[in-house]
Amino acid sequence: MSLESLLLLPALGCYAMAGVAAWVEADRRASAFASATALLLAGGLALHTASLAARWQAVGHGPFTTMYEILSSNVWSLALVSALVWARVREVRAAALVVLPVILLLAAWLLVADPAPGHFPPTYFTALLYVHTLLGKIYLGLLLAAVGVSGLVWLRRSPRGARRLAGLPSDEALDELAYRFAAFAFVFDSLMLIAGAVWAQDAWGRYWAWDPLETWAFLSWLALAATLHARASLRVSPRVHALLLAGAFALAFLTFFGVPFVSTSPHKGAV
Amino acid sequence: MHESAVTNTLLARGASTRLTVALLVLLAAGAIAGYLHEAIAPVALALPLGLLVLNLLAAVATKPVFRRQAPLLVAHLALAALVLLAAFGRMTSLQGRIELTQGIAFDGQVLDVDAGPLHRSRLAQAVFTNEGFTIDYAPGIKRGRTRNAVRWTDAQGRVQRAVIGDHEPLVLAGYRFYTTPNKGYAPVFTWRTRDGDVQGAVHLPGYPVHRLRQARAWALPDGTAAWVMLKTEEEVIAPDAPSAFALPRNRDIVLRIGDERFELAPGGRIALPGGTLVYEGLRTWMGYRVYYDPALPWLLAASVLATLALALHFALKFRRQPWRAALHAPAELRSAAATQPLAVSR
Repeated sequence: MSLESLLLLPALGCYAMAGVAAWVEADRRASAFASATALLLAGGLALHTASLAARWQAVGHGPFTTMYEILSSNVWSLALVSALVWARVREVRAAALVVLPVILLLAAWLLVADPAPGHFPPTYFTALLYVHTLLGKIYLGLLLAAVGVSGLVWLRRSPRGARRLAGLPSDEALDELAYRFAAFAFVFDSLMLIAGAVWAQDAWGRYWAWDPLETWAFLSWLALAATLHARASLRVSPRVHALLLAGAFALAFLTFFGVPFVSTSPHKGAV
Repeated sequence: MHESAVTNTLLARGASTRLTVALLVLLAAGAIAGYLHEAIAPVALALPLGLLVLNLLAAVATKPVFRRQAPLLVAHLALAALVLLAAFGRMTSLQGRIELTQGIAFDGQVLDVDAGPLHRSRLAQAVFTNEGFTIDYAPGIKRGRTRNAVRWTDAQGRVQRAVIGDHEPLVLAGYRFYTTPNKGYAPVFTWRTRDGDVQGAVHLPGYPVHRLRQARAWALPDGTAAWVMLKTEEEVIAPDAPSAFALPRNRDIVLRIGDERFELAPGGRIALPGGTLVYEGLRTWMGYRVYYDPALPWLLAASVLATLALALHFALKFRRQPWRAALHAPAELRSAAATQPLAVSR
């Protein structure tokens, strides 16, 4: 077993246990479990960072080419953004109940993905790769945070949720916080598309060509734009806003992880 | 007076932010329709985008609150400018491809041209010569970086040289020339008649993608149909080891003209009724993508301005943190807050 795998498996285990600790913390109102959640998240991130570094060292390039690498780096970035939100906005730590299952879903997918290294195409030899990828990871992380916070509005609809999550701010306040995460997710989404267009211009000789990934990325951007506008102009309720955010995230999720199944031809730079 | 009232009503309805949401949905539908049926893409995208610009301009004209929020206004106006610049770029742009034999200058002829109706060609000022390329390959025939040497003469008459490739186009007279993965071998011929010599090259199918069919039919200058094949079974690019693009060691060709078959080594010749065909040797050819869009830098400026202005708008708007007030309120108020809205900013 490679050093990368030796580090990755306990990292994913830490994320899973952090999910359990977050659930117990919210369900039992046991604040002592907050320390366990923090410790497990931090430990998982440290191990995962070391795992990614070991792979980078072994294959000679960053985690950008295969589905395995893309899943691993996104599990890492989503966990990092979630951990930062968890630490910074203590009032809505229960959002981990929504966020961590999504991360664990990706982690489970990662476990069955092919870890064979991929070819690093010549169009990837640019600093824009790092800029574009970083912006994309911040965008997806912030959008997941928005979904996590707004998802609490729905979790509170159940009798058990109403009891356990009663101490949280009101639905409207949660909605407002989710809106803020979504607004900045939109900014980073826009910056990601701009960096991608600049990259595409000199990598493929055009800044936009409506290839499958670009089309779905545009639809994801539109979905988030429409969600932000709908909240402002249609005055949708927190529950409806939560559903709209979940829809925008589902589209973004499909764009990040689903389009390679729709088309393998363009936007890979390996041809 | 009546006309003014009608105009105001139309403006008010056209400025509706609910209409904005509907138009964003229409734009998404247009993007999907254009993705599924490329022929309708221009209309499917242009119609909702045009309506969104009108919706925005109406909102700016009729909603004072919009004008009071300068960063939000700038962000939306920059988005409108982005749409108009994209349309201007489409009208004045040119896209196409060229193939250049090593040592041969670009003659301004572009293949598969897609030019906007307002494009004024200046390709005659974009003459350059392909001086050959190197490409490394990883095991598995995975293409590495392309380095293509080019030469041109600048406006002052000085000869300039550069190496272009991935991420590094040659920019001449506003046209951007990009190397592509499409490249291969080119047997070079001289057609010798009493009227003089004519030199040309036949670009064989791209290599290594079409390495098993390195043959092509073409017509001699007198119209005679001909067919040429590179007579080599050599694996120029090793499939299982680091390698590089190179000419094959055996550069002999097979020629078919009518029912006759010829095998020629470089320097070989055949006498035909219309003249003499001389096989001068084997070179490489490179495929380029040509792109011209005068709006490119302005598109980048407008998109960056829109995004940064929007970020500033959100930063200013979100200085208050109403959800924290709920948590730090007394317990009895906190439980009430679960059902009563806080003052939230929209």
